[in-house]
Amino acid sequence: MHACSPSETGRTASNAAHAESFERMTMPHLAHVARFARSLTRDAARAEDLVQETYLQALRGWHTFRTGADARPWLFKVCHNAFLRSMQQESRYVDAPEDDPELESLATAHAHWHAEQAGLTELVERMDLGESISRALGELPAYFRGAVVLVDVEGQSYDEAAAVLGIPVGTVRSRLFRARRLLQDLLFEHARDAGFIAARPASRERTTAPSGEAE
Amino acid sequence: MSEPTTTGPTSPAPIDCEHAVRRLWDYVDGRLPSMARDEVEAHLETCAACLRRFDFAHEMRDALAASAPPLPEGDADAALRERVRKALTGERG
Repeated sequence: MHACSPSETGRTASNAAHAESFERMTMPHLAHVARFARSLTRDAARAEDLVQETYLQALRGWHTFRTGADARPWLFKVCHNAFLRSMQQESRYVDAPEDDPELESLATAHAHWHAEQAGLTELVERMDLGESISRALGELPAYFRGAVVLVDVEGQSYDEAAAVLGIPVGTVRSRLFRARRLLQDLLFEHARDAGFIAARPASRERTTAPSGEAE
Repeated sequence: MSEPTTTGPTSPAPIDCEHAVRRLWDYVDGRLPSMARDEVEAHLETCAACLRRFDFAHEMRDALAASAPPLPEGDADAALRERVRKALTGERG
């Protein structure tokens, strides 16, 4: 029978303490991590894989966790990074250009105006918006999905989202505004794809476009 | 001494559609300074087209908030915890 040396015994005790501290600090947040993973992946099985990967990565990086800090945002950060990596591996990752947030707001309004002219806004309002939003979220490029899930779905502040995503608050704002514009575009696309568009008379009177409308 | 204005000292300055919609998402998120917010709201009182855009933005954001999946509970929660614990045990060897 193999007898443990004093150094082995010490290492085993240290590992056990490390494991105990990790589980005590992180397992209470598992349900929230699972919901975040589900929002990111939009798929139950993929979400469970992502939760497992998050906890494995978190254990490997536990020495970097600042004692006394809140473990939930740290786990969210690990989860989001693991999500981005999985999307890169599956070639579904699109890098995020950083644009002018005010221009994103303007573009959102312009797109809405065009959709209104095409009769799409009424049709979107008649659709099940919750179901359409959920589908649109699943089609959103990974970089943008993180920002919109954290702020709009999880209800986090820009500052909290910035900490999870590891980017400045201003970048959260521009990424979030871009994400919302893309989501709006996807909603209108879904309405069009669903064949909801009613033929519009060519002579239909136009309403006022935002100034600068290029038509 | 400044000239008296017809709009009064507390009336927000009029803004056009472009200035209003540039502030769309900051307004929806409640992140505008009070003067800018008042200017947007004064514009929305007189511009039905912008009001529809802003209403749609609010509806979309509300739908996003409502799309949050439920927290796992009961058997699903227990099974996930078990799976994660097993993976952690395997990782530690």
